[in-house]
Parts: sequence; structure tokens; C-alpha cells
Amino acid sequence: MRVKLTEKDFLNPLGEVENKKIDLNPLPYDFDQVSLINNTKPGTEIILKVLAESLGNREFLRVKKPAGTPASEREIKKTSSSDLAILALGDCGSCASWLVLDAIRLEKLGIPTISIFSDHFAPFARQLAESHGISDLRILEVEHPIAGLNNDRVEEKALKIVPNLLYILQIP
Amino acid sequence: MTRKDEIIVDKNSCGCPIDNLVDDKPSCKNKKTIINNDRLCDSRKSDMEFFVDPDPEKVSLDFYQNRFTDGLPIIPPTRERVNRFLNYTIHNPEDVLAILPPKMGQATPEKIAINSVMAGCLPSFQTVLEQAIIAVSVDKFNLEGVNATTHPVSICTIINGPLIDEIGMNASVGCLAPSNIANATIGRALRLCLINIAGAIPGVGDHATQGSPAKYSYCFGENEEENPWEPLHVERGFNLHESTVTVMAAESPHNVNDHRSQYAEDLLDTIIHTATTAGCNNSHVPGELLIIMSPEHARTIKQDGWSKKDVQNYIHENSHLSPILADRGGSKLDEKNIRDNQVQITRSPQDVVLVVAGGPGRHTMISHGFGGGSETVTMPITLKNCFNQKSVKNYK
Repeated sequence: MRVKLTEKDFLNPLGEVENKKIDLNPLPYDFDQVSLINNTKPGTEIILKVLAESLGNREFLRVKKPAGTPASEREIKKTSSSDLAILALGDCGSCASWLVLDAIRLEKLGIPTISIFSDHFAPFARQLAESHGISDLRILEVEHPIAGLNNDRVEEKALKIVPNLLYILQIP
Repeated sequence: MTRKDEIIVDKNSCGCPIDNLVDDKPSCKNKKTIINNDRLCDSRKSDMEFFVDPDPEKVSLDFYQNRFTDGLPIIPPTRERVNRFLNYTIHNPEDVLAILPPKMGQATPEKIAINSVMAGCLPSFQTVLEQAIIAVSVDKFNLEGVNATTHPVSICTIINGPLIDEIGMNASVGCLAPSNIANATIGRALRLCLINIAGAIPGVGDHATQGSPAKYSYCFGENEEENPWEPLHVERGFNLHESTVTVMAAESPHNVNDHRSQYAEDLLDTIIHTATTAGCNNSHVPGELLIIMSPEHARTIKQDGWSKKDVQNYIHENSHLSPILADRGGSKLDEKNIRDNQVQITRSPQDVVLVVAGGPGRHTMISHGFGGGSETVTMPITLKNCFNQKSVKNYK
């Protein structure tokens, strides 16, 4: 008698994911008002200051939001009148999560965004944005770490991403 | 489990009825059916097929290599095992109960059951897991932040009500220790759901710098029999005889050893001293603080005439540290949180999540929360029509 032993199948533990797509807002050719959204992480103020200076004479609206939690409706509303929003800084897990998710909230309101992440957390930010259907979320990477550095070192790292910001915005 | 082969006719198998084979009257074209008088058709690949459980060692390694586990061996989630768990759900297996970030995976009863089987749960734990998963998906819990953070936050799961006895949870001596199947595997199953459904894989969707041993399992029942005050679920508006599951984003527990205090204030001062530390999230973003008080400590305080609210007020009012030490976290300390040049680590007395658990001994445990970045969620164990259930037996 020939006996065949067959192992029972086992089931896949992974959760299914719904495919969705959110369109990114195009960047404006010209713009007057820029929201600078600061999640209060160390060094963020300096990074945003360096980036703002590179954009020349424009109106800057400064908004503070919590790092590891969503921006309040008031903070989002305050930002929503701008032509462009720059968000910083995603240099840890929860702050990177909520920088991505708040950027998506603004994109859904029609505000084009550019978000700043440290290069260590940028891959996670891209993955998260993709999970939410917006794989092309605009992300600029600054060299990790930022926290724990003195102001000069942060400024030095921020200056390195200025050419990338100007390139994205097509500013010569 | 065994079963006779079903007859499958292809070019290599004849499908001859057994009666024909036994009578040496094969109907297949091979005509070469009898070998060594065993009277079985030789064109069959097998005469008998045994379906056996997958080798746990092999499946564990396979799942581990696919990053489906916490590193410990798992029970292979076969259809039979998963179905036993689904007997306890009130939902359809494919209903989406929650969407879990960061991967935005759909948590269905079946996926929860698969991960619970893997964790070594008993089928009767299914409803607890489902409610825990729904609880962590509530907005105010902030699973987006809790899963992704560099902070070593785990999810503490506290069970209240008759369910504690019905599923055999440990609420007494060693309730946080490795031993009890419910305490060990409910917490583990929740973590496996976060890994496999939410995508909270260390270094991928979970960025905790070191992580925490509490991420393996941090689950216990409240010792309601020895609690001199109202238990957590009653404090939160549920009936004593209803069962609930509470989830809290919490650090690993830290011991408070006090064998000598005879009065409430002295004992609470020891707890406060342990809790009031720089470097926890509560220091720069005040939020919830979990106190797992031993029955003996609770009795000492109660005998001094203190209510649960008195305890919560005292801990809230006296747990503070200097702004210089407080303002060293990731988020900048909000100046609104500075009062009389001190920063309180809780926002209100309600932030002091006080439960009584454990056995004899004069040790209390404290766990800092995720600061103000997450709020505890308490969910009743309910049926679809929203009736609170008093017994897990209602699900059978």
C-alpha cells in the first residue's frame, strides 16, 4: 500500500490592503504665501529659517503643531490659506508618521506640500505615504541626526538641502 | 487526521471502484492492477493519503524568515484551528473591524484569529482580541504614533469583569510574569496582529530605538476581589458584571518597593518619587500614568480613609519636576504646562490610571504612558446588537 503524507495548508497572517490613490497638488509656478509648519522637534526652527531665507521676499506664515500627534483643526485651517506648505521635521517614528499624515491632510485640502525628513526616516515616510495612496509625496531629505546637534551643525545640514528645494520649486 | 483518497482520474490514475479492484476486474485501460497480491491499482499515486499538521519547527522558521513572528515559535495557523477561533466571533470572518496603520492593513476576524492561533491563544480569547484591536484603532489611541515611534511604548491590555475568571486570566500573584496562557498569549497575539496586519515590524513600521520586552506581551486582569475601590471599568461607567478590555500605550512597568509606609501619604510619596522622572514622555508632554497597585498597598491607603479619587488627586498634584529637566524630550515643552516653575507629568487626576493587581507583597508597578500622544480606550465585550455580554459563553 502506498501512503501519501500531506501537510495541511496554513493561512496567511498578513492583513489585506486596499489600493487607493490620492492626487498630489501641483506646485505653483509662482507663490506669495508659504506656511512653515514646525513640529517643535530640536533643530526644526533653524531648518525652516534656512529654507525660508532661500525663498527670498515672500510672506511666511509660521505654524506650530505637535510632533507625535495630528495638527489640530485650527492649525490645519490656519495653513490652508497658503500657496504652499513646508513641513518639518520627521526625524523619529511618531513625528515622521504625523508629518506625512498632516501633509496628506493639506494635500487633500488642495495645498501643495514639501516635507522635510531626516534621511534615516525618509524611507518610512515614503512607505507610509504610499500606504495612504500618495506615493509621490514631495519629501526632502536632511542628513540624520539633527537632534543633539548645536545650531551651527544644524544650519550646515539645512543649507545642503536648499539646492534641492529650489530645484523642486523651479527657482533659478 | 486521515481520509481515503478521493478518486481523481487523470492519465496516471484510473479511478477504478474498489469493488472492481478487489474482484480483480479493473475497468481501467492499464489492466495492470495487481502487484504482489495487494489488489490495488498501480496507476494510483497513492492508496491512502494522510493529512498531517504542518511541522511547527519548519513553519515557525518559515514564518520567522518572512518576518511574520516575534522571533518565538508559533502554532501553525491551519484552517481547522482558525475555524475553532471563528466559532467565537459575532462577525463574518471577512468583516473589516479596523484599519491598522502604518500599513493600513485590514483587521478581519479571520486575520485576528490566524495571528491568535500563531500566538498560542485558546479559541475563547477571540472576542477579547477583536475588541482590543478595535480599541487600538480608535483615533485618540493614536496607533499611527504608537506603532511608529522611537519611544519604547508597548500596549498594555487590562481585562476587567467576569471574563477574567471565564478565560482563566491571572490577576493575582505573578500577573505580569510568564506563566498564564491568557496573560501571555493575548498580549502576544495583539503584537503579532500589529506586526502582520499593521506592518509594525521593527525597523520597518516600528521604529522603537531599542523596543521593549513589554512588546512581547503586557496583559493582565485587574484583581477586583482584592481591590478596595471600584475597578477600572466601573470607574469608566460600566457595570461591575460587564466585561471590558482596556488598552493603554505604556512603557515597561517599573517597580515601587515600599515595605515600611503605614500611611497613605508616605506610600504615595514613594510612588510619586518613582514616577516623577525626567526622560519619560510624560515629562515634556504630560499624559496618562498607569499605577498597578498591589492589594496590600491599596489596603494601607484605603485603611487611611482615602478614596480612589483622593489617590488620583494626590498623585496628580504632587507628580511634577522642574522645567529644565522636563524639557529634554522630542517635542518642545509647551509653556502652558509650567505652573509655579514645575511641570506636572499628568494633565488631570483622570490621567492617573489606577488599577489593583498582583498578589501578596508590598510592591506596586508604574508605567509611564506615551505622554499626551495617546489616550487609553476601554471597550465593552459586546454582541453585534450592542448588548454588553457578561459571559464569554455567549459567543459559543
